[in-house]
Amino acid sequence: MRFKRRKIEIVPPYVAMADIAFNLVLFFIMMAKTQDDSHIQWEPAKDKAAVTKQIDNAKVSISVDRDNKVYLNGLQLGLRELADKVTLELGDLPPADRTVLLKIHKDTLAATFEPIMEAVSQAGGEVVHVIDDEQ
Amino acid sequence: MAAGPVSTGKGGVQTAWVLNLLTDLAFNLLIFFVVCASISPDKGRPQQVPSASKDKATEQKNQNIEVAITRTKVSVNEADVPTAELRDKLAGLLANKTRPEDRIVVVKSEKDTPYSQWIRVTGIIEQVGGVITLQLEEEREVGVK
Repeated sequence: MRFKRRKIEIVPPYVAMADIAFNLVLFFIMMAKTQDDSHIQWEPAKDKAAVTKQIDNAKVSISVDRDNKVYLNGLQLGLRELADKVTLELGDLPPADRTVLLKIHKDTLAATFEPIMEAVSQAGGEVVHVIDDEQ
Repeated sequence: MAAGPVSTGKGGVQTAWVLNLLTDLAFNLLIFFVVCASISPDKGRPQQVPSASKDKATEQKNQNIEVAITRTKVSVNEADVPTAELRDKLAGLLANKTRPEDRIVVVKSEKDTPYSQWIRVTGIIEQVGGVITLQLEEEREVGVK
């Protein structure tokens, strides 16, 4: 008995490749949109009836974690170099875009956060305190 | 799970969509929208922090309201005020002042003042219409021969 050999066509899975491409696009969008400050452990201060406003795409973010370490856009640095770095980051941006987010841990002392605000003021930035609404 | 030309066995080739691929695509779209929604923009309390002018400091010293914040207490014009009464006290002091330069409140903090306390007090100052100015200690390098 003779069996016919079937010709098997090998075709690349185009739709699955489109799926993979879509996943890669998603990956790069996530990496581009978020600043890598997930390692910074901090708890925001609370304020009753605080008037907060939404900040879109702030160029500069200064964080102080629970160990009193200062970070600029996710990178640790010292207080003395903060003013120069902030000035560099803000560059020649118009006044409306010179927002500097302050993500300061609630137990940080004035010896740390006051020089930060002074540095931002010297660099010509607009300070925005990231806080929680106390309910 | 792959889609591609499926032989119908009659010599012709038909491309058919497999149902689970559509499910895969729907799942990917769901993840995409969840990620976009979860990246929530930051929101915070803006604050104008004007830099102190040395020339005007002494001139306005006697005119401005001074609020001193420590770890445990708050004082207004060197008089201790309980936190519960702070709003009314400041509102009274700022009552008849309409010009921004008259509504300046100089905020002085001890080195061990926690940020949460500072935020609470400055929040009250802003709510009653005060314009916050920070009084900071100046550091100077002095050469010793």
